[in-house]
Amino acid sequence: MKYVIGIGNYSMGDDGIGLRLVEAMAERGLNNGFELVEIAHDALRLLEYFSPDTAQILLIDCVTRGARPGDHRFFTPAEVETRKCLSGLTTHESDVLQALALARRLALPVPPLTILGIEPERIAPEAGLSPALEQRFEDYVAAVLDHIRRATAPG
Amino acid sequence: MSENMRIDVHHVTRVEGHGNIVVNVTNGKIEKCEWQVPEAPRFFEAMVRARHYTEVARITSRICGICSVGHTLASVKATEDALGIRVSKQTKKLRQLLKHAENFDSHVLHVVFLVAPDLLGVPSVFPLAATHGDVVRRALRLKRFGHEWGSLLAGRTTHPTKVVPGGFSDLPTRADLANLRRRFTDEVLPDVKEILGTLLSVADKFPEFDRPTEYMAVHSDEEYGLYDGAVQTVLPDGTKQTYKVADYRSCTNEYLNAQSTAKWTKNKLASYMAGALARFNNNYDQLHPEAKKLARTLGLEPICTNPFLNSAAQAVEMVHSFHEGIRLTDELLAEGLQEEPPAMPTRYGEGSSAVEVPRGILFHHYTYDKNYICEGGDCIIPTNQNHANIQLDFEKLVPELLAAKKNEKEIEHGLEMLVRAYDPCISCSTHYLDVRFVR
Repeated sequence: MKYVIGIGNYSMGDDGIGLRLVEAMAERGLNNGFELVEIAHDALRLLEYFSPDTAQILLIDCVTRGARPGDHRFFTPAEVETRKCLSGLTTHESDVLQALALARRLALPVPPLTILGIEPERIAPEAGLSPALEQRFEDYVAAVLDHIRRATAPG
Repeated sequence: MSENMRIDVHHVTRVEGHGNIVVNVTNGKIEKCEWQVPEAPRFFEAMVRARHYTEVARITSRICGICSVGHTLASVKATEDALGIRVSKQTKKLRQLLKHAENFDSHVLHVVFLVAPDLLGVPSVFPLAATHGDVVRRALRLKRFGHEWGSLLAGRTTHPTKVVPGGFSDLPTRADLANLRRRFTDEVLPDVKEILGTLLSVADKFPEFDRPTEYMAVHSDEEYGLYDGAVQTVLPDGTKQTYKVADYRSCTNEYLNAQSTAKWTKNKLASYMAGALARFNNNYDQLHPEAKKLARTLGLEPICTNPFLNSAAQAVEMVHSFHEGIRLTDELLAEGLQEEPPAMPTRYGEGSSAVEVPRGILFHHYTYDKNYICEGGDCIIPTNQNHANIQLDFEKLVPELLAAKKNEKEIEHGLEMLVRAYDPCISCSTHYLDVRFVR
């Protein structure tokens, strides 16, 4: 199985970008052989997809990395280190990198994982995305489609 | 024991959201002992105003990402009550099955990932990966099952899409239900048994503490109250009283408290408790026999007045929901699912509902105009109903821990464990990555 997984919080502005992208792709039937999944707030749910029959995962998340708001970039977990200081692992306090660390400790079969990180303009209690992300929404859809097209291309 | 003590936990870890513990002791005298909730208001009750009845549950399900199914059910039920919408027996049964999925999923998360580290003497689930890796892997499988069980019925478990006022917008297929039924026995049962075995091996680690209080829960003659019923309270002497759901304000009595941004509640006593232990104390007789068996093994019997055992009651409910899930699925398979368009409004006005979410009794109330537009909402969530009870527990527990010559770290840990036992879900926050590129 191949998955496109969105994570985030709908009610916290740009933090919901992963969910909104996956939702938009599902509405338009753009999965192209990938299963589209929202795990919402719960990074632990990512681990549920770490099984021998998972061929690859594209995870879409809001990522602060010092870029311009709205910029996006594909990367693997090995390319980055977290700057977050987390004291626990709950559905409120966690991130994907922490969940990955737990997966490795549990010797779960971690599949090839790519992250599409989108730099937020605003993370705050509000519905909808900021203008910076809303204006580039179709660029993100195209980027995801391009990624999964290359991932499914023969050879 | 030190005569002076300053405990300032900001924020308590392994709880959902933000809460603080502050204890000041000077010359052996407790000057301050507070459970503080600093979260900002979120104005959901204002957001539903001027919305059509079909939109309201979509909005209020966002109050909580974990109890999203429960908020959806409470919302559609209150709307149905206000608009005279009568749902079918099939809808009720599907919703009951969905409610069990949410409780099962949430209780696995809380008992294994948030409470078990305390019982096993480690700071988080991470060290358990080395010592109890099999249990953690099994818990992850059960979480996935709970999530898929709920998604089959609700479309998704965080902010459900298929639960609508009047029924469901889409039904599972017979094959989906049959597969769910098979998985209960083939996949889930072995994992449940292993996890309960581990829990039983550390059951003696639950702290001993008693503070009798009032316990409030949904009660129904038909089932162990979760999806529907009246409001019932039980006092430590076993005295019970029921209230109509429409009279929920008369038993919740919300009020403001300076140490909290969340409202507090009380009824007959200075506080009451909501949650798994409150349900257990109110509805023990209706538990599945296997759940009662586990309760006996854990030494849990009504009226239990040790709040730390709320987590044990969650394990008991996990077993109950597992068996009720099987029963309801069997019944739905035997009866066959019929396509039903959602039932429509027959009147307008105001309506209320009570549903048990994992953390306790949840109330929704709405008023609609003649065009079925919402004029106002009122939501009383269980975590807020527990704040006063946590505060009063603190006021009894801290002197006991001081008298037992516990040091500052031990007292801090004891208070954190107590807060975690309530499984508070204080607000929702963000989960973005914050990274630096190293390659």
